Amino acid sequence: MIETLKDYYSGFAIMNQELTLVLVLIFVLLADLFLGEKGKKNLQFAAIGSFALATISGFTVSFGGSQEAFAGMYVTSDMHVLVKNILNIGTLLVFFFAHYWNKNENRNQSGEFYFLTLSTLLGMYLMVSSGNFILFYIGLETASIPMAALVAFNKKNRDSAEAAAKYILTAAFSSGVMLFGISLIYGSCGSLYFDEVANAFQGLPVQILAMVFFMAGMGFKISLVPFHLWTADTYQGAPTSVTAYLSVMSKGAAAFTFLCILFKAFHNYPEIWQNILWWIIVVTITVGNLFAIRQKNLKRFLAFSSISQAGYIMLGVISGSPLGMTSTVYYIFIYLFTNLAAFGIISNIENQTGKVGMDDYNGLYGTNPKSAFIMTLAMFSLGGIPPFAGFFSKFFIFAAAAEQGQYLLVFIALLNTIISLYYYLLVVKAMFINKSENPIPTIKSDNMSIIGLGICTIGILILGFISPIYEYMTSISFGM
Amino acid sequence: MSSGEIFIVVFITAIILVSAALVIAMLISPRSTNEQKGEPYECGIPTRGTSWMQFKIGYYLFAILFLMFDVETVLLFPWAVIMKSLGVMGLCSVLFFLFILVLGLAYAWKKGALEWK
Repeated sequence: MIETLKDYYSGFAIMNQELTLVLVLIFVLLADLFLGEKGKKNLQFAAIGSFALATISGFTVSFGGSQEAFAGMYVTSDMHVLVKNILNIGTLLVFFFAHYWNKNENRNQSGEFYFLTLSTLLGMYLMVSSGNFILFYIGLETASIPMAALVAFNKKNRDSAEAAAKYILTAAFSSGVMLFGISLIYGSCGSLYFDEVANAFQGLPVQILAMVFFMAGMGFKISLVPFHLWTADTYQGAPTSVTAYLSVMSKGAAAFTFLCILFKAFHNYPEIWQNILWWIIVVTITVGNLFAIRQKNLKRFLAFSSISQAGYIMLGVISGSPLGMTSTVYYIFIYLFTNLAAFGIISNIENQTGKVGMDDYNGLYGTNPKSAFIMTLAMFSLGGIPPFAGFFSKFFIFAAAAEQGQYLLVFIALLNTIISLYYYLLVVKAMFINKSENPIPTIKSDNMSIIGLGICTIGILILGFISPIYEYMTSISFGM
Repeated sequence: MSSGEIFIVVFITAIILVSAALVIAMLISPRSTNEQKGEPYECGIPTRGTSWMQFKIGYYLFAILFLMFDVETVLLFPWAVIMKSLGVMGLCSVLFFLFILVLGLAYAWKKGALEWK
């Protein structure tokens, strides 16, 4: 008996990043409890500092090959480690942008903000590294329940409560749909381990039904059309820092997990899910773009933009090749810097003036040239204009889909890129060309968000030219 | 017959049987209505006011805290049964588990969730 328990504990040896994060979590909670009212300022530094250390320590983890623990429940490899590091970087950037909000408006709950955000991150880690549908589901719920609390963080604000209600109801519904799919998988395959499901999957109608239910549940999490209806309201109502976190980290982790599960558990019948995904991608990109054109609130606008970006991410998933995985992770990596730059500016301006409408941004260049410049970079990069990082990520993801012969799909996506350029440039036009009676006054950013915006700007400008990143991802990616 | 045809036959039969039972009952059953029939069952005094009232949030906090320790005992029982064979390592695991739970309680306590306001 003791032997088995020792074997059991040896599994923790490869969970470096999760254990580090749990330590940071406990540290932040204890610091929040015992620093008291006077230590609020130190609490923020303790939380950001300890998590920054955890982020740095994540880069020292390396496995060489694929590793598994707890009888295949937990799987990890260099690719998984890299995805977790990317999530770490994004979370750290969100912390930078949320610093000002936590210092003023959210003063009394700043400890909870860090604790809940890190809890969702832990859930995403488990989700990414799962080798079994049960661990995947636990990770998913660990990621989405604290997320609902985060969305409802502005207690006094009715929009925030509405957003949280919509988020938790959709999350519950999608979990139900997904669990039904998983139960059908268990019923027809006799196992929940991804590799055993792959062997037992014969393309029976009930198994296809199970797969479709599972895909629908994932579609809710990644907010693919037709499961996207919660996105706009939740993004608009949630505090801006939380929206930034939701749009990048939550989406990125779920997309990578979706890709892993499709590659590992359903790789014997790729044509079935590729057909479904084909239509989902076309509808997602088109609907996301068409709805984004008409938005007047920037947070809503970015919500629809992120829906269409999710469609582009799925272009890498549909190819099912190592190249597809590389380009998906690369896309998420670039998307993180780009989208967080946009949200950084929005949260800065919203925190200090309370304005988020697109008309409010008229004449922003005259009063806040630096903010307008960074916002322009972010919009260009989201639209995929050449010298910026967003162009390279789009290029690779189209290349991955074209390599598998999905020419029509790539063509539709390219057409949509042109549509998206129109509305991304609307923001730029508002900032540079439109005149305004009372433009947003010159704001003074706090140091933390300047650091965060600086990192994002550097990321947008030069990441596309650093080929070793892409080559490293290519060397560790795997296909079906 | 193939399984599809059997399914259709069973499906139609089920619909006919159920609807027939409902329609016949509607046609031939005797009916009487009075005020008392509309009231809730049996015991207690008649309710006053609307039942869509707000409850104090404190109840939920206490319920959640109770749930935490409820689940704890559920997990401690199986451990207690095989405690000896698990040895020191089992004890350490359970102690860590308890530490996390106590952390939760300490958090609720410090934040004032245990005070009835």
